Amino acid sequence: MSEFHDDYPSYELLAHHSEEAGKQKRKKLWMVFWIMLGITLAELYIGMNAEQWGLQSAGKSGLTLKGIFITLTLVKAAYIVLSFMHLGDETRFFRYTVLVPFCVFVLYLVALVDLSEGTYSRDGRYEMEHNVTTQDHTTRSHEGGSHEGGAHDAGKHEGGEHHKE
Amino acid sequence: MANQGHAVENHWKGGVSPFGVSYGKMMMWFFLISDAFTFSSLLAAYGFMRHKFGDLWPNPGNVFTHFPFYEGHLPLAYVGLMTFILIMSSVTMVLAVEAGHRNDRKGVTVWMAATIVGGAAFVGSQAWEWYHFIEGTAEGAKRLVLQDGKWVETVFHGANLTYNEYGLPVFADFFFFITGFHGTHVFSGVVLNVIIFINVLNGTYEKRGHYEMVEKVGLYWHFVDLVWVFVFTFFYLL
Repeated sequence: MSEFHDDYPSYELLAHHSEEAGKQKRKKLWMVFWIMLGITLAELYIGMNAEQWGLQSAGKSGLTLKGIFITLTLVKAAYIVLSFMHLGDETRFFRYTVLVPFCVFVLYLVALVDLSEGTYSRDGRYEMEHNVTTQDHTTRSHEGGSHEGGAHDAGKHEGGEHHKE
Repeated sequence: MANQGHAVENHWKGGVSPFGVSYGKMMMWFFLISDAFTFSSLLAAYGFMRHKFGDLWPNPGNVFTHFPFYEGHLPLAYVGLMTFILIMSSVTMVLAVEAGHRNDRKGVTVWMAATIVGGAAFVGSQAWEWYHFIEGTAEGAKRLVLQDGKWVETVFHGANLTYNEYGLPVFADFFFFITGFHGTHVFSGVVLNVIIFINVLNGTYEKRGHYEMVEKVGLYWHFVDLVWVFVFTFFYLL
């Protein structure tokens, strides 16, 4: 096997650095720490004041607030992966090997599971609770939706009596 | 040109670690990608349910309001402290890795010890958070229970996998599953760190000539921090 290793450095040679280089690296790492701490404190500050600033009402975050938090989170994640995990120091193709398959998968999950299916099932839930169907709502009321509504009310009444027994 | 051809041929024969990354480090990266897939799926499922029940979802600011030795209502403060502990332990870990690159055994020992302390503090904080979530408030919430064929109103406190005083039970389910899965990762990370720390004390890596093992557990430890950054945002901030 040794014949294949002739022009490739082993782990020791790749990873080691001198005392001066170490000083530089430590300075950079502490810098990243202060940035991360600053971002976290900013997140907490925004989170505690969101209601007053009108970015949140009754505990429900608005789209602006969600955008701010998700952006700050992605910035922090990038610092962890590229700086703390040293992915920024690896070769370009290794970076792509790690990041691209993962990002494709996550984009798929967010787009199809969360946004597409999540919206669909939320609307479906709303329709079930209010006994309406958005698509043929008009035809149903035309055919005599009052009858159906009456049947639904009767069912509810029976249930209420059962509770009282 | 002749040399280059020789190098390319060697690549195709194998025996060369691709991308100039050592075998162990690369496999740790691949494991972390697969683990990241698991956490992404859990968080995507959480996002689905939260999107579906957006109007009924409990406000995390009303759920996690406790702080040690403080009686009042302090949302976000405790989880902010937990986040700080984990980021701090991530920094001490990366400093241990840096000391390893200089073959500085004393530096690795000190920073690894600090990382273990930070990790243990985080696991303890999480246990405290769980305790208060499970115990709930003094007021509790009302629930109808069928007793001897009659509906009786009872009061229950806190949350478990079936009931949740603060609102939708699925909120508690996801909280227990995702922070529990993350907490298990932190715990096993601490165990791995202790094993490596003992090896550092024994001088195993000094004899080996490099501290690659510290770098490998360091990758795992940073990954745990990375997951927490997302859990923190999606559970507590949004």
